[in-house]
Amino acid sequence: MAFLINPEDQDLLQTVREFCEKEVKEQCKEFDVSGEWPADIYEQAAEMGLNALEVPEEYGGPGLERVTVAALMEEMAKADAGFVTTITASNLALKAVLIGGNEEQKQRCCDLLIEGKHGAFCLTEPMAGSDASNSKTTAVREGDEYVLNGRKCFITNGGVASFYVVTAMTDKSQGVKGMSAFVVDAGTPGLSTGNHENKMGIRTSNTCDVVFEDCRIPASARMGAEGEGYKIAMQTLDMSRTWVGCGAVGIAQRCIDEAVSYGKQRITFGKPILKNQALQFKIADMEIRTETARQMVAHALKLMDEGKPYSKESAIAKCYAGDVAVQNALEAIQILGGYGYSREYPVEKLLRDAKIFQIYEGTNEIQRMVIAKNVIGKF
Amino acid sequence: MELLVCVKQVPDDSVTVVLENNAPKLDGITPVVNAFDTYALEMAARFKEEHGGEVTVLTVGGEETVPSLRSCLAVGANHAARLDETAACDSLGMAHLLAKAAGKAGKFDVIFCGVESTDGAYGIVGAQLAETLGLPLVTNVLGLEPVEGGVSVKQETEEGYRIVETPCPCVVTTVKPGYEPRYPSIKSKMAARKMPIAGLTAADVGAEASAYGPDAAKVRQTALSAPPKRQSGVKIQEKEAAVAVSRAIKMLAGQKLV
Repeated sequence: MAFLINPEDQDLLQTVREFCEKEVKEQCKEFDVSGEWPADIYEQAAEMGLNALEVPEEYGGPGLERVTVAALMEEMAKADAGFVTTITASNLALKAVLIGGNEEQKQRCCDLLIEGKHGAFCLTEPMAGSDASNSKTTAVREGDEYVLNGRKCFITNGGVASFYVVTAMTDKSQGVKGMSAFVVDAGTPGLSTGNHENKMGIRTSNTCDVVFEDCRIPASARMGAEGEGYKIAMQTLDMSRTWVGCGAVGIAQRCIDEAVSYGKQRITFGKPILKNQALQFKIADMEIRTETARQMVAHALKLMDEGKPYSKESAIAKCYAGDVAVQNALEAIQILGGYGYSREYPVEKLLRDAKIFQIYEGTNEIQRMVIAKNVIGKF
Repeated sequence: MELLVCVKQVPDDSVTVVLENNAPKLDGITPVVNAFDTYALEMAARFKEEHGGEVTVLTVGGEETVPSLRSCLAVGANHAARLDETAACDSLGMAHLLAKAAGKAGKFDVIFCGVESTDGAYGIVGAQLAETLGLPLVTNVLGLEPVEGGVSVKQETEEGYRIVETPCPCVVTTVKPGYEPRYPSIKSKMAARKMPIAGLTAADVGAEASAYGPDAAKVRQTALSAPPKRQSGVKIQEKEAAVAVSRAIKMLAGQKLV
């Protein structure tokens, strides 16, 4: 079972699958060890237009259905979760612009992704992760400019982006209503990036601090009105969570694929280990979880398509799929036994990659808060 | 220059094909464009991008070959034509159909064929096409450049390569060059869906019924067999090294290998 996509788009799925199999999956093993950002792979992906999958047709994008994009993203995640993280992070930044930006900002950011460039979404700060409202970065208006000061951390694509969506406080006294959002071009004086984080997993994605020191940007770089930044950021995350879930589904599926492939070949006591019902049941449970998570992703996307509220479903998709990816990776390691624990085999990487899906773009605890709030309401 | 690339749809050659009732079992194997034809197309596309012109792809086959033509349109071909003919042909019959269809599809300076297909692997359609059209042929081509009145062709040899020149129009058969075919982009794939594919029939192109099809075949396949399984090796298990070596030498001598 997979995402039910338009039959016409099956050829796209086949193309992306072939590309991921031949150019990403094996190659990324080396970059997982070195932690280096595989520029050549991303360049090839950009040439194929994979950075711009979510660019709307009216801005020059392919105009694909969301569920098709999800199927393509799953293929990328199956090959390498860091790879899909880079792609989805650019689209996270784009979503913020499409939600809060003006026409000029939208077209410019879409053009950059179509050209194969990357974007970065800068919300998180050392003291403002799950508690995004505790932002210390400031944007002070001076004539026709804003002056940005502050430090963002754990920014995916921070060191490789061409545009940054940045939240900063324009009026601290107003709390979250004093937060505004800006689109900042790479290379703007005063914008610098820190060291690439040495991460546990998704090591083929770039993560670093983005620092603003008297960084002057034109007032026209602001998205929406002053004070709308927090709202734009939360709406962006509401939508992007489903896509994080999609990546997690890809990891969960890869865990099944690896476990089944190994389990058919590994002989113990004179028969393949998958002849044992105990392991068959493990595979069944992995499949139940993965397919359920995939359909939750598809459901949240369907709600988006239909313009219906999706906040709760998006949070469920992300939270559940993230948990499923970690559970499946643990089970895949168990099925491969000692080899599963060895770096010679691919499944230990899947666990390292999977863990972040319970953490980034809202920890799974935050997702549960969102879900509970939706269910319980105010009382 | 106007370039024509003849392509064949074959079963995915990365999948092991087994025989069933003296025929290859192809169920569930994805049809793809013959690998050598993809090299030919990439070579033609690069030539076009550097020196101008247009690339047309041509195939002979039923409706099921349309996705392969669309794949070609997504990676550099400007036009596509399909001769709707499914009669079983030997390579000479296929060369006749291609020659007639090429004549109908346009005027071409260079006609590219993959050196062989990955299914039948007879490796002679290109040569027979050149003969049928009365055109010069260069085989095992790694690349080509335009020169006055023709093309300069880099031809692979046993030892390396040599450069030959031929007037145009001509036929070239391509081997694997030093680069891989490009991947289609999402947008080029989507655009290829809407591009027209010229539909031709054997009657349209003036193919002679006596020149193609099973009755016209000069070569008939009489049997098909899988490659023999590798024989298991012989293990010499003498305790004494000298005895083991002596036995090994005797065996090699028996096979006339030493």
